[in-house]
Amino acid sequence: MPPYNNTRTERRKSMAERRPSVSYTPPVIPHLAGLEKPQDHSLKIDQCDVLIMGTGLVESILAAALSWQGLSVLHIDTKSYYGDSSSTLTIEQLKKWCMEVNLGRIPHFQDAQIYIPGGKTTNKFNSKDYGIDLSPKLMFCRSDLLTLLISSRVYKYLEFQSISNFHVFENDDFNKRVTSSTTKEDIFTDKSLSLLTKRYLMKFLKFILQDNSDPDKKKVISDNATTPIKQFLTTRFNLEPPQVNELVYSLGLCIKEDTKTPEALAKIKRFLGSFDVYGNFPVMVSKYGGPGEISQGFCRSAAVAGTTYKLNTTLTDYDPELKTAKFDDGSRVKINEKIIISPTQVPKFLQSGYSEITDNLPVYNITRLITVVRRDCKEWMSDQESSAVVVFPPHSLPTDNIHTVQVIIQNGGSGVCPEGQSIWFSHSTEPDLNRAKTDLEAAYEKMESALLRESSSSDLDDVLDDTDFVVNARGNPVVANSFKLGESLQNFVPKETLDVVCKLGYVQKTYIKPDLSNVFHPDETNQNVVLKNLADAANDIVFSNMPSSEISYDGIISEAKLIYQRITGTDDDFFDVDFEDEDGEEDQSYATVQAHKPSTGAIVVNDDHDMSLDNENAIDDDSDDGHKPFGADEMEL
Amino acid sequence: MSFPNPATSVKLVLLGEAAVGKSSLVLRFVSNDFQENKEPTIGAAFLTQKCTIGERTIKYEIWDTAGQERFALLAPMYYRNAQAALVVYDITKPASFIKARHWVKELHEQASKDITIALVGNKFDLVEDDEEDSLRKVSVEEGQNLAEEEGLLFFETSAKTSYNVNEVFIGIGSKIPDSSANQPEAIRENNQGRIDLTSNNASGGSSGSGDCAC
Repeated sequence: MPPYNNTRTERRKSMAERRPSVSYTPPVIPHLAGLEKPQDHSLKIDQCDVLIMGTGLVESILAAALSWQGLSVLHIDTKSYYGDSSSTLTIEQLKKWCMEVNLGRIPHFQDAQIYIPGGKTTNKFNSKDYGIDLSPKLMFCRSDLLTLLISSRVYKYLEFQSISNFHVFENDDFNKRVTSSTTKEDIFTDKSLSLLTKRYLMKFLKFILQDNSDPDKKKVISDNATTPIKQFLTTRFNLEPPQVNELVYSLGLCIKEDTKTPEALAKIKRFLGSFDVYGNFPVMVSKYGGPGEISQGFCRSAAVAGTTYKLNTTLTDYDPELKTAKFDDGSRVKINEKIIISPTQVPKFLQSGYSEITDNLPVYNITRLITVVRRDCKEWMSDQESSAVVVFPPHSLPTDNIHTVQVIIQNGGSGVCPEGQSIWFSHSTEPDLNRAKTDLEAAYEKMESALLRESSSSDLDDVLDDTDFVVNARGNPVVANSFKLGESLQNFVPKETLDVVCKLGYVQKTYIKPDLSNVFHPDETNQNVVLKNLADAANDIVFSNMPSSEISYDGIISEAKLIYQRITGTDDDFFDVDFEDEDGEEDQSYATVQAHKPSTGAIVVNDDHDMSLDNENAIDDDSDDGHKPFGADEMEL
Repeated sequence: MSFPNPATSVKLVLLGEAAVGKSSLVLRFVSNDFQENKEPTIGAAFLTQKCTIGERTIKYEIWDTAGQERFALLAPMYYRNAQAALVVYDITKPASFIKARHWVKELHEQASKDITIALVGNKFDLVEDDEEDSLRKVSVEEGQNLAEEEGLLFFETSAKTSYNVNEVFIGIGSKIPDSSANQPEAIRENNQGRIDLTSNNASGGSSGSGDCAC
């Protein structure tokens, strides 16, 4: 019963003798015990079809999918916030989170460190102004998750912003290869390229945009199933290292030099196919936070469909014979179908069982370094945008990194921090954790010095006058008289350092392979936790996965479907719901305006936008239902 | 495309104890409909309704709690960029009034500082023909005092008879700053994004299909 029940009885008695309202003098409003914890009530349901523990992205999509299909879902989380391993947290929440990680209370995370320089006196900030994603991701404009966000109407809770700037760090410098003025074709027709290189690039473009069912292409891909992409591009298309780097790491966002040709080609095609869907950009991020925000959206959708939510709650016991789950608030609920448990929330009584299942699985590390700086980093972003991507390909850092360092940069305009600041989300999949950390630090230093160099160039106006600049063949001013500085601009080292609000580092572990093969094609050699059974729990319990190392949302829907299939036996009716929009006539006129980019940089996701691939702008060639996550088909070739 | 009177989009969130009539109030407003024994939750992502106040048209996007507040906190997404809130209680249930206090406090902590909040005592129909044995358990003064203390608008309504229901939304609308006037940049930007993102149906029902009560 609610804690205020006593109060009600008391007051009702005394009120009964009183006259009607006018002459009634209000008593002092009593303090309500438990006001600060409105979630303290015990569950009042006695059964449900599916119990889901953990409100991460995959679990939240699953909850919405199941409940829209008519199943009754109880969705709980041991934490007081939504999102689990894909949460978006404030700085205060992160401090607590780091402590819990280091106490071993959040399995699969380790080595958490948070550094807030200067304490509260010299480093003033309001924790709530920050929304820091634990597992940040990028949304390709043509992707299965975006298609689902639109068809499920969950996009209505979100706002998307474009990213058109992708920088590759090369020869100790940043090359802005892809910008907002870049079109798909421009990538391959950079004026600085030689005619011959251009011809090779065009040949490659023609090849990659060709239908995958084309017998010649099919053969080339299967012949090179194990060829590293670098070798493939160099020998078959005579491409030079700068073009290879751009294709593989900036467009493809591959993480390793030895990425196999089919996977890399699928990833490059993913980028190109996402151009021109909503504009001249391939990628978007959701405002106020990525996976954490999208999780909340699906949780709300699930709640609308009838899912019961309870945070701060854990499962304490499960009786497989009676199919009864017991919770730490004392309530008992009969589970008709299955229990889904996130790897960070495995209850004590299941820990040994979970270990048995996962002991022999290969583990993959993701090391993250997240820095909040007092700079808006506009230098790296396109006008009207608030985010950019920086990539450090293998061997580009002084640490001779083997794995790519990928960095998502977002400033105040994207709602994750105050104006004038930005968050650098960097990560590496390097298995050697010490190496990973030094790679990330090295990347941070490169970005820091590049940013200070670029932003301090305005101070050089005092030193240099107009005649010191000449305009080069490409129309950019270059310093002709750099001896005035004593050194070239490249080596100009400012004394200034970046003002840091907060620096956060941690390692997360996952059983999902970096190429997502055990999500797309789980089998004996590509084992997936989802398909494992806990023998002593009558196969009622299914464990989900930690987030993958993949920078995009690829694989998320496939994971949700995999679990959905384990519960219902098929994924044929996954989100098979007709969400009708009874749009008024005015909306019809809105609908005729195809998705555009308003001046604010916000992207309008229009329901009526043609997400199918027979869109004439679409370069992808599968003509069925929307985008297949990269590798879904291609990898079989 | 051109609209003679572009609507100001306003996100309005509903708060209040279960069964005080939050959903009924909104249903009455968006569709002039009252269901005697309606299900506790509206099955839609959010409902929309336009409201013309003088020269201005306000398009309300009304977010119901969808039951998420019962055992869990409402997600930060719920409060984000909300420009208006209805804190609803049942004038025949003192406990719901105490709970309203909690929600006002929660709003001050979670929502933006310039949010317009209306305190609404619902179920006025139950006390209309008031005799000695009144069902009324929360006096008008109690509500007014809380509203004054916290700087809220105050109404007593009946979703059943539609007494004062439109007045709540007109009252809130008149207090919302015009988006073209001196509104903070952030909110204006958000509005622009929102207008195009949402369906624009005066009779409600944006997401839920079968469950939508409209």
